[in-house]
Amino acid sequence: MKLLVYTSRNFLISTIIVLSSTGTILYFVLKTLIENEMLEQLDLQADMIVNELAQGRYVNYPLVEIDKINRISETPKITGDTLVFDYVTKEHEDFKYLKVERKIGSQPYRIKVMIIYIGWHKYYQVIFFLLSIAAVLMALAGVLLNYVLSKKLWKPFFFNLKQLNSYTLSRPGRVHFEPSHIREFNELRYALEELTERSRREYLALKEFAENASHEMQTPLGIIQSKLDRMTQMVVDADMAGYIVQSKAAVERLRRTIKGLLFLAKLENDSYADKESVSVGYMLRSQFGQMEELFWGKNIMVDLRIEEAEIVVNRFLLETVVSNLLANALHYTPRDGRLNVVLHENEMIFINTGLPLTFPPELIFDRFKKGEQHSQSTGLGLAIVRQICMLNGWKINYSYSSGNHSFKIALQQEVLPGACPGTGKHCTEIC
Amino acid sequence: MKILLVEDEIDLLDEMEAYFKEQGHLCERAADFNQAEDKIILYSYDMVILDITLPGGTGLQLLEILKKKKGEEGILILSARDSLKDRLAGLDMGADDYLTKPFYMEELNARVNAIQRRKFYSGSAVVKSGTLEIHTQLKEVFCNGEKINLTKKEYELLLYFVVNKKRVVSKESIATHLWGDNYDMAASYDIIYTHTMNLRKKIIKASGDDYLETVYGMGYKWVEK
Repeated sequence: MKLLVYTSRNFLISTIIVLSSTGTILYFVLKTLIENEMLEQLDLQADMIVNELAQGRYVNYPLVEIDKINRISETPKITGDTLVFDYVTKEHEDFKYLKVERKIGSQPYRIKVMIIYIGWHKYYQVIFFLLSIAAVLMALAGVLLNYVLSKKLWKPFFFNLKQLNSYTLSRPGRVHFEPSHIREFNELRYALEELTERSRREYLALKEFAENASHEMQTPLGIIQSKLDRMTQMVVDADMAGYIVQSKAAVERLRRTIKGLLFLAKLENDSYADKESVSVGYMLRSQFGQMEELFWGKNIMVDLRIEEAEIVVNRFLLETVVSNLLANALHYTPRDGRLNVVLHENEMIFINTGLPLTFPPELIFDRFKKGEQHSQSTGLGLAIVRQICMLNGWKINYSYSSGNHSFKIALQQEVLPGACPGTGKHCTEIC
Repeated sequence: MKILLVEDEIDLLDEMEAYFKEQGHLCERAADFNQAEDKIILYSYDMVILDITLPGGTGLQLLEILKKKKGEEGILILSARDSLKDRLAGLDMGADDYLTKPFYMEELNARVNAIQRRKFYSGSAVVKSGTLEIHTQLKEVFCNGEKINLTKKEYELLLYFVVNKKRVVSKESIATHLWGDNYDMAASYDIIYTHTMNLRKKIIKASGDDYLETVYGMGYKWVEK
């Protein structure tokens, strides 16, 4: 439930409860007060009449009845309600009356005085009406206030939430969080800033470590490789040759893994900031041209449907994306399969036939994620592709349906030709 | 060819030296910046193979000295650093090629040969092996004056074998040489086999000689007749 709906709803419920209970109390308090007041007035009126009568004056007030009686009854004071026809409004009105029996001199009298009052149903109506208006107004004001305030107050919160959602460690630069004059939000902001900064620092340290470690591994690996190479030049028996070949294959795999890791570690905006206008179609064709025979070798039917598209990009990075996706297709397309490469309107699609993934598809771009049957691959190619897409603000999508793996890249240009390169925004959605 | 090898890793230095000596080159070695600096200033070489990170200085500084001397040497940078920036820095300063570690000796040799052809024969060198003549500028191969029709990959493969003659050339190094790093190893080995067999047939047909030896599962060896 949205915060605004939640607070508004609760506010409305509490308003209704408060108003209806105060309304009820108000009704009873008013009723008692007015009744007491009226009875007092009737008492006074009766008293005054008694006084007048005692002084022997003739009394003839409207709504007053004075009767001589024989004797004073057991209930000398009666109050009650009655209806009197009002000839002005032409309807019966509620009246309150008081009957008192008093002895004035030696003659007992019964004096009945009346006073009009507005019927209780009218009090009900008025109270209900007024309180309803108050309830509606208060609810309206509350919601409005809530809404306006929320819009303003919560803006930094929602902004920061969005920032946090789109935050990835590998993205260069610090995250910007919006300040707020609400203390709690500011505290949250400080906490977030510290958290992101700390994790970024740790990430960078880790990356640096990976880079240094990879460098340090390269030289000894080079030595192993050259020594194995020397051994292949010697006359060896078949067993030995087998060992050497296996060792060389392992070294080769390690070499490529290290190379991939180094490249991933180095994939930052500033390392590859030089951008130029590149024809994607030309690049696709030439990259494919280089690997053509490899596809033929597996008897993979390749269909290139390429429209011309120019984008501003670092040439080397685009080359890497294209060659990695082609290499991926080559790896995973079975013999006699097919590969479709489509380029149109800044969208690059690679569709190849193949068996379904043996792991959840959302992990396909993760490092070292590879199909079981391909222990030879480094498992870094698609991670590199994703990283490059992220740097360029391209969306990359993987899907599998009816025997086809499909990689779709939207080559959106966020940096227009001629605009300052390297300031491109970053893609927030990676599927 | 007189080659100066500048590399601080002695194992690698030994290996390179042995390799180039086998190929009939004259090698000198320098294991740190100062040794290399002295040699560069005192003598002249046809080819300098430079490591970038050296005790006492960097290969790029040596490159600067070489360029100031205005010598004719071919220069190949050999480095563990392979970012584009490093590459461009080296090439912009006048290096002829840039190879990253770890590398295959065959690949290094092929690159050195390519530099040699470009620099000293203006690209028009004719590489000979037995009755075969490889015209590197036209990218054509002749046998006893008759042209052998080779595909682009077969031509590259032949040249690679010939410059690395008498040595077992591994399938990994051939794959890297022909397709770079983005190949499917299993897939490319089959192709290498196909290409090699086609090349072999064409050469046998044209010259009557079989220059190629298959060495167990390790690779191929070009043997001059």
